[in-house]
Amino acid sequence: MTSDGEFYSDRQDDEAQLIARIAARDEHAFRSTIERHAERLHRIAYRMMGDAHEAEDIAQEAMLRLWDHAPRLDASAGARGIKLGGWLKRVAVNLTIDRLRLKKRTSDSEVPERADDAPLADDQIQSEEEGAAARALIADLPERQRAAIVLTYYEEMPNAEAAVVMDMNIKAFESLLHRARAALRKKFEDQGGAA
Amino acid sequence: MKDTEMPISRDSALGRLLGADKAPALPKDFADRVVAQTADRAAPLPQARSGNGGVRRWRSGRRLAAGAVIFGALASTAAATGLLDDLPIALPSPEKVWATITGQSDASEPVDPPIERTPAQNEPETIKPVKIEGPIDSPEELEEAFRRVDEVRTNRADTRRERIDRRLDNAIDRRREQGLPVPTPEQEQRLRDRIDRVRERREERVDQRLDERRDEMRERIENGEELSREDFIREQRDAVGRPGRRDRLERFRDMTPEQRRSRIRQIREQRQQGLRELIEEEDASQPPAVGEPDNASGSTEEGNEKI
Repeated sequence: MTSDGEFYSDRQDDEAQLIARIAARDEHAFRSTIERHAERLHRIAYRMMGDAHEAEDIAQEAMLRLWDHAPRLDASAGARGIKLGGWLKRVAVNLTIDRLRLKKRTSDSEVPERADDAPLADDQIQSEEEGAAARALIADLPERQRAAIVLTYYEEMPNAEAAVVMDMNIKAFESLLHRARAALRKKFEDQGGAA
Repeated sequence: MKDTEMPISRDSALGRLLGADKAPALPKDFADRVVAQTADRAAPLPQARSGNGGVRRWRSGRRLAAGAVIFGALASTAAATGLLDDLPIALPSPEKVWATITGQSDASEPVDPPIERTPAQNEPETIKPVKIEGPIDSPEELEEAFRRVDEVRTNRADTRRERIDRRLDNAIDRRREQGLPVPTPEQEQRLRDRIDRVRERREERVDQRLDERRDEMRERIENGEELSREDFIREQRDAVGRPGRRDRLERFRDMTPEQRRSRIRQIREQRQQGLRELIEEEDASQPPAVGEPDNASGSTEEGNEKI
């Protein structure tokens, strides 16, 4: 179960049918897929980007790519056993990594400024500050390490599944994850925290 | 595994800090917006061809080609060194091999006599341009030159007439394929008649100019003058008279690309005008407002006419 109470129960038959219906341009099927997967894609993108608006764009683009590629996925879904959830997550992670790289080239600011500067209650201010600190910590990691932490820590995905999403073999992914954890702990300690 | 590489515990200080960052929820109308976006989405590209099959085909093809080359090289070497003569292998001659294939005794004899290509009945016979070699100083020579020039002119006129007919047919076919209105048989006939009339008028004008010019030339011969090749070339007269094709071409070359495009567009519109007017106007007997249909016939070739 994830932190938000959702299960990773991608049932193959249901998904194959959904893909087939989307390939046949069934808007109802597409809408139900959005409702089923978009929240998680948005969350992954948000954790990696630290920006809700960009995360929303990424979730939208990932869903639209599903719409575009559904005929092809439908053709290969039976033969290769494509899991819709995994495919969407991979698209979202890749889109996010692309955006992060683009952003790095065009801007120095990694963590967005808080949009609303209105006075907040003390506990809310503290919560915001902690959230910003967590985002800054994640933002200091290289893109792929961020993805590894977000998928395994926040989304509680098994290493094997996260490796598939990131299109890596399990050994390489675990190596990446170890480096990511070590880097995260070191940065946290450098900031005065005790991991 | 080192401690720093262990999974992050949610109860640790780091875990608590990471957990403090709550992800916002998607807007309520997110699904509506995404579904609405699908309407503007371009159709997906066709699936790319698989690279593996191509590579495999190329590899097997390459092996076959390499094998054929190696076999050929070995066979040539064996034949060149006389190795085949030393071996007790009876090799049939090429004639015998051919005879076993075709069942005929003499392989060198062609199976069928070569077919002589005869020009089709509707294929216009091309006549080469008249070459004026040396000076012309007698009336007989001059008339013979005129006769040969007329022969070429007649041939060119026929070719031009066929080309106009073909262009007209193509234009009508194109309009039909594009689902545009096409002229009725009556309208088409009227158009062809009009083109014929324009052509006849033009030919009459050319004939008139030629007759005048020829009379001058006859007079010069009678006065004992000699005529050279240059006297027969229309361009010489253009140099002193009205601007010819070459001048128009020069002006065209001096234009800027934009002017040139505009001029080409204008010429094309003029070419289409005759046909379009016939189709669109109810009164087909009205003369066209812009340009003559004959413009489509490539009447600029007039500049190359010889006297």
